[in-house]
Amino acid sequence: MEFAGQAFDVLIARQENVSEEVRDVVPELSAHNNFPYWRTVVRMAALCHDLGHLPFSHAAEHEILPEDVSHETLSEQVITSPEMRELFANMVPPVDAAVVAKLAVGAEKASQGRFSVWESLLSEIITGDAFGVDRMDYLLRDSHHAGVAYGRFDHHRLIQTLRLMMPAASPGPDEDDSQAPVIGIERGGLEASESLALARYFMFSQVYFHPIRVVYDIHLVDFLRNWLPEGKYGATVQQHLATTDNEVLTGMRVAAGDSSHPAHEPAQRILQRQHFKVLYERSVSDLELSPDPGLAVKAWAVNEYGEDAVRHKASRKGGGKLDFPVREFANRRVSSLSVSETLARLPSASGEYVFLRPDLVADARRKLTRNREEILGSWSPEDLEEDDMAALKEEL
Amino acid sequence: MKRLARAAVLSALADGLHERNSWTGETHLQKATFFLQEALGVPFEYDFILYKHGPFSFALRDELNSLEADRFIEVKPQRYPYGPRLETTHIGKALQAKFPRTMEMHRAAVDQVADFVRDRGVGELERLGTALLLIKENPNAHDEKLAELMTGIKPHVSLPEALTAVGEVRSFMSERHGAAV
Repeated sequence: MEFAGQAFDVLIARQENVSEEVRDVVPELSAHNNFPYWRTVVRMAALCHDLGHLPFSHAAEHEILPEDVSHETLSEQVITSPEMRELFANMVPPVDAAVVAKLAVGAEKASQGRFSVWESLLSEIITGDAFGVDRMDYLLRDSHHAGVAYGRFDHHRLIQTLRLMMPAASPGPDEDDSQAPVIGIERGGLEASESLALARYFMFSQVYFHPIRVVYDIHLVDFLRNWLPEGKYGATVQQHLATTDNEVLTGMRVAAGDSSHPAHEPAQRILQRQHFKVLYERSVSDLELSPDPGLAVKAWAVNEYGEDAVRHKASRKGGGKLDFPVREFANRRVSSLSVSETLARLPSASGEYVFLRPDLVADARRKLTRNREEILGSWSPEDLEEDDMAALKEEL
Repeated sequence: MKRLARAAVLSALADGLHERNSWTGETHLQKATFFLQEALGVPFEYDFILYKHGPFSFALRDELNSLEADRFIEVKPQRYPYGPRLETTHIGKALQAKFPRTMEMHRAAVDQVADFVRDRGVGELERLGTALLLIKENPNAHDEKLAELMTGIKPHVSLPEALTAVGEVRSFMSERHGAAV
């Protein structure tokens, strides 16, 4: 919320930072009297952005929420609930809960209507891929709480050098075509943005995609599927607010102590630290042997040890390349990827693992080492193509 | 369509754009995929929304990032001051060869879209993509109405530019015979 306010001030309220060409296509930037209202809306949206998070945050979201429900859906529902509407209405100036919800979850996930250029820009302050303050905040916070230094970067310098600007020059016959403005950065902030990108890369590759952290997500999903009614999380505001980390941990302790409980086995694995072990971690060279080496190893392991003994997880960082405009001297806008070797060459963080029950892993590792090429090369995507063809024929 | 089959078609689309002198940046691939899915019916199942620079799919953005992580495509920095191009790697080419029937099924559609996109810039693709989206959303609206809608949503687009874009998309859609639908 603090970062959101700072970014709003730098990008919008400080008029000397806003160029005429940007003001021309976003008339709201000239309505100074409305700035206090919009600043409050943006800060509230940032504060409420994560209200829909489930217990243990993202860990089990995709697997245990009902279809078509995400944590953003829940955030929207909480923000627009009667209790929250009343709170927002009593603020000075009063704030529209629906607008807060829209900006909080962003264009990708919002259930309501189309975003104007103005709304897109405000929402980008919070959820933007390159400079969203949500990302800045979670990197610094997670880094601090995980006890690692990877997530640190100079957020003060970064925020102070953000600017609204037209996109960088693009090649082609319409090089000077006008387009909607985006959030870019002054040349002086480029190193701070590189530092942010490196922090993200390291946090994903070293913390979020760490195999032991990942396998506990898997065991948590196994537990929740067997503990929650019908294996799914409730999707109403009341159900959402009634289940916190505390309820889950208490349920886990009960299940771990009762061998007849359906969630006993995963509960024990988590509480007794008997997690599955890494059988296989994907390496770049394996992609030469198979287009999907993780699935190849998983298929072999399932065949060898049975489905219950094997778990597979492929994690890939969302978002795209950090391609944003950089304003150089004489107001020249260039692509960040053309002026920063760091941003251009930074790989995309990913991690893929096959895990196995601890008592089987020594034997399996021996076999995999002996027959690695054969196992990786044995799997072919042809079966998938068969599925696709069948589905296509039905459609046609 | 499953992930690897999508990867094969997307990398073939990048190849097709390259062959026709497209810059083949992420925006070009986004708009070309939108046309492939929405005008020619290739079943990627991406959700496109009208975003700042025309139709945009966050899922496709994430997928392109995954394809890079899986070494099917690579991002090639270009000369100052321009953004990078996306190119298919030898692993991506090998993947295409593993999906012969999928590639055959969608080859004509990929070629038609690549011909249409060719060397157009991102500003023009924004207008064309927006025109297609508005045509799909308002099937009974006449061209002038669609152009007005576009300028209302995108104040930086002029009315003549919007009308031209709507006309070009209508013409593309009427000439699409032969592509897989």
